[in-house]
Amino acid sequence: MRNKQASADEEENEINLTPMLDVVFIMLIFFIVTATFIKEPGVDVDRPDAFTAEQQFDAAILIAISGNDEIWIDRKQVDSRSVRDAIERLHLENPRGGIVIQADENSTHEQLVIVMEAAKSVGVTNVAIASTND
Amino acid sequence: MRRHLPQLGGDDDENEINLTPMLDVVFIMLIFFIVTASFVKEVGLDVNRPDAPTTEVKPEDANILVVIDANDDIFIDRRLIDPRAVRANIERLHAENPQGSVVIQASKQSTNKMLVTVMDASRQAGVYSISIADSAG
Repeated sequence: MRNKQASADEEENEINLTPMLDVVFIMLIFFIVTATFIKEPGVDVDRPDAFTAEQQFDAAILIAISGNDEIWIDRKQVDSRSVRDAIERLHLENPRGGIVIQADENSTHEQLVIVMEAAKSVGVTNVAIASTND
Repeated sequence: MRRHLPQLGGDDDENEINLTPMLDVVFIMLIFFIVTASFVKEVGLDVNRPDAPTTEVKPEDANILVVIDANDDIFIDRRLIDPRAVRANIERLHAENPQGSVVIQASKQSTNKMLVTVMDASRQAGVYSISIADSAG
């Protein structure tokens, strides 16, 4: 019933898989725990500079406002009237996550207020404005 | 050298569990989570918007009001302030009134660069409670 090599000299040829399994399981658990499935907006923006910027750890929804005042959520351009619905839908998927608004340097404050109002009306309290840190 | 486990020494093929299918599954899950893991490092400034729908009720004397107009000019105390001097001005006003928070009233046409500049200056001056007031025009 055995393999030929295994019967010949068992201890040498059989690799002990247990340590590798341990490592693989720990990696698996790490990746499951850290997986947050962040919704990326899908457009590049020029972020404003800020010295005091902090890393946003609980960012789950990224909303971009491009230089010509288009709002992008989840790789789609969103009309300013339907921002609230889009945020609500994404917020339901991950209710603990916060919102990071990637506002372009040249975008107007009006669009930012629209997004912040929408976030507030959905009930997301953790809103941040993205910036570069240098 | 004998085997470590005495049971396995007796009859090998019956007692040894075949781990290969589980390993396959675990590896596929591992690869899935590695591929989908998006370590987005996002840095930014937190925003506290005032809860009240209208913010005109905020007493002006209790806070440091920074106005950004449609031409991206910054006004503190009705004086035009250079963007580089915002920090010093907020520091001075904060020293006079340590309880006051910074209220930024930005025009709809102002750019977000100025907003972040003012927020950053305020945080550099040590005022971390910043609110963004609704404004007309």
